[in-house]
Amino acid sequence: MAIQTATPPSTGTVSASGDQADIALRIENVSKAYGAFYALRSVSLNIRRGSIHGLLGENGAGKSTLVGIISGQRTPSSGEIFLNGKPIVGADVRAMEEAGVFLVTQEPMIIDHLSAAENLMLGIWPSKGGFVRWRTLKADAARMLTGSGIDPNVNAGRLNAVARRKLNILRAMFSGGKVIILDEPTAALTVPDRSQLFDFMRALKNDGVTFIFISHYNDEILEICDAVSVLRDGSLAGGSKDIAAMTSGQLSELVLGRDLVLFQRARRSFADEPVAIRLRNVAAKHVKLEELDIRRGEIVGFTGLPGAGAKELAKTIFGLNGTATGSVSLAGNEGEPLPDHPQAAFDRGIAYLSDDRRKDGVVGHLSIAENIALSSLERRATFGFVQGSAESSLCKTYFNSMGIKAPNAGAVVNTLSGGNQQKVCLGRVLATEPKLLILDEPTRGIDVGVKQDVLRIIDALSKTGVSIIIVSTDTDELVRAVDRVCVFRDGTIHETIIGDDITTERLRRAPSKPETVR
Amino acid sequence: MSTVVTTTAPKDTPDKEVGMHRIIGWVLHNVVWIWLVALILGFGMFNEFFLTVLNMQNITVQATVLGMLGLAVALPLLVAEIDLSIPANLGFSSAIGALAYSDWGLPWFPAMLIGIAVATLVGFFNGLCITKLRMVSLIQTLSMMIILQGALLALTQGKTLTNLSDGYVWIGQATTIGGWPLMPLILLVALALIGVLLRMTILGRSIYAVGGNPLASNSAGIRVDRVKIITYTIAGFLAGVAGFLLASWQMAITSNQGSSYLLYAIAAPIIGGVSVFGGRGNVVGILGGVLLLTVIQVGLAITNVPSFYVGMIGGFMIFIAVAIDAVRVRYFA
Repeated sequence: MAIQTATPPSTGTVSASGDQADIALRIENVSKAYGAFYALRSVSLNIRRGSIHGLLGENGAGKSTLVGIISGQRTPSSGEIFLNGKPIVGADVRAMEEAGVFLVTQEPMIIDHLSAAENLMLGIWPSKGGFVRWRTLKADAARMLTGSGIDPNVNAGRLNAVARRKLNILRAMFSGGKVIILDEPTAALTVPDRSQLFDFMRALKNDGVTFIFISHYNDEILEICDAVSVLRDGSLAGGSKDIAAMTSGQLSELVLGRDLVLFQRARRSFADEPVAIRLRNVAAKHVKLEELDIRRGEIVGFTGLPGAGAKELAKTIFGLNGTATGSVSLAGNEGEPLPDHPQAAFDRGIAYLSDDRRKDGVVGHLSIAENIALSSLERRATFGFVQGSAESSLCKTYFNSMGIKAPNAGAVVNTLSGGNQQKVCLGRVLATEPKLLILDEPTRGIDVGVKQDVLRIIDALSKTGVSIIIVSTDTDELVRAVDRVCVFRDGTIHETIIGDDITTERLRRAPSKPETVR
Repeated sequence: MSTVVTTTAPKDTPDKEVGMHRIIGWVLHNVVWIWLVALILGFGMFNEFFLTVLNMQNITVQATVLGMLGLAVALPLLVAEIDLSIPANLGFSSAIGALAYSDWGLPWFPAMLIGIAVATLVGFFNGLCITKLRMVSLIQTLSMMIILQGALLALTQGKTLTNLSDGYVWIGQATTIGGWPLMPLILLVALALIGVLLRMTILGRSIYAVGGNPLASNSAGIRVDRVKIITYTIAGFLAGVAGFLLASWQMAITSNQGSSYLLYAIAAPIIGGVSVFGGRGNVVGILGGVLLLTVIQVGLAITNVPSFYVGMIGGFMIFIAVAIDAVRVRYFA
C-alpha cells in the first residue's frame, strides 16, 4: 500500500512556502487517546532536513507513542503529519518505510546466524525472477559497509553492540531512509563506542540524512543534536531550534517540569552495626570469593567489567548461577549452603531483581497486582488457596507506595513504561520482606526522575534494617546511593572503596586493567 | 486489503466511535457463545428435531468426553507446551482398566482406578521428559501418542473389548431428573474444579505465570519444572477419567479408541481462547469451544447434509470461528 496524499483540509493553509521547504517532517496537533487517557495531546513539531533532532522526556511522557505514529505503527486519534510538505494519510509501517521513514529500535533487529551483508539486505534482496543475486548482494553490501569497519562476510552474531547499531542504521539508509528515528541507540554502549556511533551519525547527516534521536541523557542530546523537543505528560513541554541555546539544567527542568533534586544518600559508618550477611568460600561459574560481610542496613555496590564476577556473584547468592559451593549466613542461621533455586532464596530472606525486566523480571500479560503478588503467594495462602483479601491489600500497598503510574492495579504490565515496570518488579521482591535485597542495575533504561524515586525507595528500605547489594556499572548511581563499593575482577573482589572515597573519578579509575571482552 | 485509517480522524462524535468499538469488542470477545447460539438456532431451523430436549441431552453427553479431553489439552497449552498424547492416553488407559477387570479378575472399581492411575503416570512421565530431559513437547508427546496407539492395538489384538462390568458401564447410561444424563455433570464438576484451581490457588497462578514468561517466573521463585510436571500429570489424570467415561458410555473399547478425538480436543480449547503461546485462557472459554464443536458435529449429523460433505462443512465452521478469534486478538485484545 502506498502513501495516499489527501486533499488539504478546506481550512488548510498548507503550501510549500519557502520557509517550509527545508522541513523534512512536520507534525501538527497530533493527539493519541486510549479511551479517556491521552498519551499525546496536540503535539506540533518541525524537523529540519539534514539535522539531528533530539526527543527528550521521561518514561511515559509520550516519546514512544509519537515515534510509533511517525513510523506508522500507530494511527493518531487526530492531527496531521506532513512528510516533505505532503500530508500523510493512512500509512502503515511499510508505507512509511517506502516513503523513507525508518525506526531503529533499542533492540537491534539482527538475525545472528546470517552474515552482516545478508542482514543489511534482509527483505530487500536484489533478485531476478525470484532468485537472489548473491553477487550483487555482496557487492552492494561491501560498498555500503566501507568505512563502517564491519566485515560484510562476518556472522552478525559476532558483531559487538556498536557494530550492530551501525548495521541497523545502514540498513535503514540502504532501504531508502531519509528520516531515521533512533530509539535510545546508546543504551549499553561504552563511552568510546558512543563517540564512534556519533561520528558515524554526523557523517550521515552531512550526506543529508535526517535523524530523530531519543535519549534519556542530557549530555548526549547536547553533544549530538542540532535541535531538541521535550515531551512531558503527552504534551510538548518546550524545545529549541538551536541546541547551543540550551543547557543541561534547562533540559532537566523541561523534562521534569521543576528543578530536579538529585538523590544523595547520607553516608555513615556501619562499623557498629551487627553483621547481617556472611558469605564464605563462594565458588561458582566466574565466581571465586573467600569472604564478604554485609552489615545491617548497609548498601553495598558491586561493580566491574562484564564477566568480572559482580553480576555473577549476585546471581549465585540468589541461586541463579548453576551449581555453587560455599555458604551464606543470614542473621541467626550459621553457615547454610547457598540456595539452589530462587524459591529457596526467597524462603531465607534473599530477594533479587534482574537487570532485564522484560526477559526475566515481569510476566507481561498479567496485571500489576498479579505480578506484585507472584513471589509471595505462599505467604498469603492457606492450603494452597490464595487469600484474595490479603493479596489485594498487599498489592494496593505496593501499588501506592511505589508510585506506579497506571489507572489501577489491574492494568496489564505490558502497557506500562519501563520505569513503571521496574517499580512493579521492585514491589514484587519487596513483598517477600527480604533481609538481603540484591538489585541488578535497578535504574538501567529508566529516566532521571523515576531513577531518583527508585533510589529513594532503596534508601528508605535500608533504614528499616534491610541490607542491600546494588550491582551497577553506572558510576553516578554508585556515588549517590551506596555506602561501600566492591570492584570485581577475575571473579573476586579486587578492591573496596568506602564512604566518601566513592567519587566518580575514583570509580572511573577502578577497573584499571580492562580485560578483553568478547 | 487492510483497513485504511485516516490520520485526520473526524472531530465529531468520538464517544460514539469509542462506544461502537466497545460493542464490536464485546461481540468478538464472546464470539464463541454467539456463534454457538446462532448455530443452534440455524440447525433448529433446518431440522426441528435438533431443538428437542432429547437432542440437547445427546449433545451434552457427546460434549462430556470432548470436554474432559479439551480441559486436559488446555493445561499444557497454558504453560506454553503441548500434549498430543492425551487422546491416545485415553484409549490405552481405559483398555488397561478393562483388562484388569476381565483378565486379572479385579473388581471393576479398582480396575477402573488402575486405568486412571496409568493415565496419570503417563502424564507424569511426559512432564518429566519435557522438563528434566528438556525434550521438545511437540515431538515427545507425538512419539508418546504413537507408542500408546500401538500399545492399545497390541493389548486388544485388534479386537473390540466388550467384556465390561455392569458397574463400569453404569455411569455412561445413568440418568437424573427428567431423563437428563449423569455424565455431563462430571464434566461440570471437572470444569469447576479446574476453574477454581486456575483462579484461586498458588498452582493456578503459577501456571499462568509460567506460560507467560518462564524465565521471570523462575526468578520470581516459582519452580517452573515442578509446575509443568504437575500440569502434565493433571492432564494425564483427566485423560484417564475421560477414557473411563467414553468406555462406560459406549460400553466398548475399540482397538483405536479415542484417536478420532485428537484434532477436536486440540481445537476446542484454542477456539475457546486458550493461547497456543501460553498464559491465556479460562475454563468458560474451553466449555464454549467444546460445545461449539459438538453442536457442529451433531448438527451436521442430523440435518440432511450428505455424509460426504460433513467433514468439509464442519472444517469450514471451525475455520470461521478461529478466523473471527484472530480478528479479535488483532484489533481488540
